Amino acid sequence: MSRRFVILAALVALLAGCATPATTTGRIALVALIQEPGLLSPFFNDQSGSDITSAFVVEPVFLARPDGNYLPYLAADIPTLANGGVSADGRRVTIHLRHGITWSDGAPFTAQDLAFTVRVFQNPKSATQTEPEYELVDRVNVVDPYTAEVLMKEPNPAFLSLFQQVLPKHKFSSTAVTAGDPQARLPLGTGPFVYVSWNTGDRITLKRNPHYWRDPSLPKLDGITIKVTPDKQSTMSAFINGEADAVYFFTGNDLQDVQAGADQGLPLTVVTDRGHVGSVEWLWFNLADHGDDTRPHPVLADPVVREAIDRGIDRNAIINGVLGGFGTASGAFVYTGWAGAKVPPTPYDPARANRLLDADGWKRGPDGIRVKNGVRARMKFQTISGDQTRVLYQQLVQFDLRKIGIELKIQNVPSNIMLGGYQDGGLLATGNYDIMMSRAGADSPDPGAWTQVFTTASIPTRKSPDGFTYSHWSNPHYDRLYTAAASEVDRGKRLRLFQQMGTIFTGTRVALPLYGTVRGWAWNSHLRGVRTDFWDGMWTTASSAYWHFG
Amino acid sequence: MISYVLRRLVQAVPLLLGISIIVFLLLQMTPGGPLVSGEGATQMSPEQVAKLREQYGLDQPLPVQYLHWIGGLLTGDWGTSYNTGDSVLSMIGERVPVTLLITGLALVVALLVSLPVGVFSAYKRNSVFDYAATGAAFAGLATPSFWFGLMLLYVFAFQLRWLPSSGLTDLRQEHQGVGAIGDLALHLILPVAVLSLISVAHLTRYVRSSMIEVLDQDYVRTARGSGLPERTVVLHHALKNAAAPVVTIAVLSIPELFLGAVITESIFSLSGMGRLFVDSANLRDYPVLLGILMIAAVLVVLANLLADVLYAWLNPRISYD
Repeated sequence: MSRRFVILAALVALLAGCATPATTTGRIALVALIQEPGLLSPFFNDQSGSDITSAFVVEPVFLARPDGNYLPYLAADIPTLANGGVSADGRRVTIHLRHGITWSDGAPFTAQDLAFTVRVFQNPKSATQTEPEYELVDRVNVVDPYTAEVLMKEPNPAFLSLFQQVLPKHKFSSTAVTAGDPQARLPLGTGPFVYVSWNTGDRITLKRNPHYWRDPSLPKLDGITIKVTPDKQSTMSAFINGEADAVYFFTGNDLQDVQAGADQGLPLTVVTDRGHVGSVEWLWFNLADHGDDTRPHPVLADPVVREAIDRGIDRNAIINGVLGGFGTASGAFVYTGWAGAKVPPTPYDPARANRLLDADGWKRGPDGIRVKNGVRARMKFQTISGDQTRVLYQQLVQFDLRKIGIELKIQNVPSNIMLGGYQDGGLLATGNYDIMMSRAGADSPDPGAWTQVFTTASIPTRKSPDGFTYSHWSNPHYDRLYTAAASEVDRGKRLRLFQQMGTIFTGTRVALPLYGTVRGWAWNSHLRGVRTDFWDGMWTTASSAYWHFG
Repeated sequence: MISYVLRRLVQAVPLLLGISIIVFLLLQMTPGGPLVSGEGATQMSPEQVAKLREQYGLDQPLPVQYLHWIGGLLTGDWGTSYNTGDSVLSMIGERVPVTLLITGLALVVALLVSLPVGVFSAYKRNSVFDYAATGAAFAGLATPSFWFGLMLLYVFAFQLRWLPSSGLTDLRQEHQGVGAIGDLALHLILPVAVLSLISVAHLTRYVRSSMIEVLDQDYVRTARGSGLPERTVVLHHALKNAAAPVVTIAVLSIPELFLGAVITESIFSLSGMGRLFVDSANLRDYPVLLGILMIAAVLVVLANLLADVLYAWLNPRISYD
């Protein structure tokens, strides 16, 4: 009995010792990663989790600011028509690189790397998943180690989106790069940190880059540990309780809880950028009849119905009641980036919505649901399952529209069923929906890719199944404006083209913006030196190089 | 017995082949595919989508895809993951240890708790202890593991801060040797508690009912009448016989040990088989999904066979020719 007691006492002491509050060893920040990607190189992986590489390892040739304008970063200047960096016909862009930049393994960073990056994209055997702007690149001429001449097949006004990641030529044996390549998994970069190891599903370890080109005293941290924590709810709770220094990444919808923690005196810093709109939550209308693009949708094709829905939704109730103020009223089509417009949403006016529907012949039936020519105003309303906050305002919308005589049936689905391709039965692509709700439109400072999604050519069909659309909407005037904007290199003219597209889009009510998420970030207050005045906020090497503990 | 085992193994081959066809077709019928961009992401250009589809072999007719997969399976090439580019076998291999550690411990804990509680409940039938244990077992069966997991997490990790909330190690400390073992033990307490909950509830009721049946047998009364100590009667004679069905139930849970606990592994950030399965399903990573499902099918077949063999071995009255 005494021996058992001794063993038990030793075990208790052991466990008690291990339970003492953890203290940091060295200066390593702990970042929680909610959605672990399959690969960490964004060039070969389309998942949002791989963008964490841009926070620590990979650096862009041109760095975007919150307003969508760019700073030269690995480049020495921004090529423009005025400085001769862009040819008059827009088909030649000359990029001058800074001198003295090295990869983290000490090798020099040169124009050869840019040319190699393009050739990898162009190789049909490479598994690239990166910006569509590369499609317009014909080839890259290396003029000298610090000058790259990018020749376009057509004028490419969105060239500043190129080279957000450059591949290190010396680390590849050929341009046929598969997903199994070690560089696709743990990419080498020029940034302040270097990938050391990745225990899939558990943690990713980075250490300080000893050859950081910007400043030998940077980065200030010795390393970063990224902990994979797939459950968002418990991750946020752990972060608020101080178990991580930052979380990659949560949306503006999550800031409410963090702010509450900060208000209670917990060591949390919350920063918001109210001057710019984050991602907008959209209501996508199917304007074609369930996959048959030759026939209009029986209810939503009526512009009066779309206007009534627009006026019948109480957006302030969503922003203030559900999001705790962490939302922005936004009504613009192109609402962010350098061409972003500040347009207020349609005011909430259910009385006017009712009058519009009455006048248009939508009569209320005995159950209060409107009917016109035998067609009931009853539709399916879907979003991505799993987000509890979103379900709340989804129900608010359902409730609001019921009051004006439109019945919505909620039936949520996983994201890949909503967003899947045409051949995979994706609901948006195949047109198998009425109203969908999801965020979109803020992935890039240039609106080219966003505006392309609504062109007629982008609608997937049996003959061209790899396109994508949110609306099954076709408008020849819009298409012509898009085509003009796609090759217009004069920014002022291009801006006016986007504005005209916005006028058509908003006037037609192709889709309805519900609210814009707040651009915001939060971190444990013991982490200092966090700058957020970039397009990607705190998640850029221009910020992480300065992180340190106070 | 040997011929019986061989016959069962031979019968398993067409069964597994049929399962592979059904599983393959069911995956293909599920909407959504591996080429989906995430919410809010810029859509890949149609050219890129078409290129990736060709690289994944998704442009081939389904029969060609199936034959390519099943042929690879039989020759040891289980394919590569769409998501990571890794080989399926290596991905599964690196996840198995975590899952076995957690689910194995949960099973051990479940047995250590359910055997004494079940035996005592049966022995002291209709006592306060019996009612309490049975009630707790029913409550355990009715409790959803995700709710229980989150409750334990909030109470012990976030409120009391006695236990870590996730993972298997404290990434802010560099524990070594005995300290590392202690750190690991601390991290295992919550997930093992959650996982063992349902097993404890299930096994307790099973042990209790099995013991009750055995305690009423004539040979137990005979043993008692022989003057043997009560402890010997209960633990040696009764429990030995009652153990046969319990062992069978435990063996049948072996496939579950491999497949892991999906929700618990997500809540506690454990990189096991269950999470790999869910992640692959969400991403429509067909090669990984098919690999896991076929392993599961094989394990179920083998576990059933093993359970039958063990049952015969434990119970001399049963025999297979």
